[in-house]
Amino acid sequence: MSRSVWKGPFVDAYVLKKAEAVRESGRTNDVIKIWSRRSTILPQFVGLTFGVYNGQKHIPVNVTEEMIGQKFGEYSPTRTYYGHAADKKAKRK
Amino acid sequence: MKDHVCLGAVMGSYGVRGELRVKSFCAEPSAIGDYGSVTLDDGTRAKLTVVRPVKGGYAVRLAGVPHKEAADALRGQRIWAHRDALPALPDDEFYHSDLIGLTAIDTGGATLGRVHAVHDHGAGDLLEVRVKGKPVLVPFTRAVVPTVDLSAGRLIVDPPHGLMPGDGEDDAP
Repeated sequence: MSRSVWKGPFVDAYVLKKAEAVRESGRTNDVIKIWSRRSTILPQFVGLTFGVYNGQKHIPVNVTEEMIGQKFGEYSPTRTYYGHAADKKAKRK
Repeated sequence: MKDHVCLGAVMGSYGVRGELRVKSFCAEPSAIGDYGSVTLDDGTRAKLTVVRPVKGGYAVRLAGVPHKEAADALRGQRIWAHRDALPALPDDEFYHSDLIGLTAIDTGGATLGRVHAVHDHGAGDLLEVRVKGKPVLVPFTRAVVPTVDLSAGRLIVDPPHGLMPGDGEDDAP
């Protein structure tokens, strides 16, 4: 069952505080370390980089518009699969 | 096989006509047949043609493998293509195989470590740099990785505050 709309999206308060502090300081490139994988990504987080804890380390997540409404934990997998490089490509953004 | 990239592995024979069942490691699995001539672990070079997709991989035909017994003998061998067979990429796009092994240095010239892997968890590509044996994930962006010098075998990392271990607060709220 989905969350009731009247409650609004859930975000841990400390995540909001940290994001606001970084925005005010203007250092938007800083990695904001968070442990709250359950928090929803809000529009005011776009452009910021969060280090989302996966139980071992903080995975950098650069928030873009397409991520709004998802949870932080979705971008920080708890298991690492190395696989093969083969012909896979990486794009520098 | 330093100048080669591993495209897949032979899982065994397929059918009785000398076809092979291979597992593809390519980004687009069917692309394993796009590189023409391939090399096996034992040094054999042969042309590879994809016949059809089968359960768990692809049925392929390898020139010089006429029957099932010959195909069975190749089980477990990896399939390699020469790095030069991969098509050229536009600026700011790199093959994982080119990035892995590069030395990461910071803007002051100090060596941070080596690139161990490249990940994509849905929020952009990340370089896994081993700093003193510990993995550090570096966002692969122009701001954080301003220079990639493949010929010199190095890349420059300008880590933002909070990226390296020990930066920022490390205690959960």
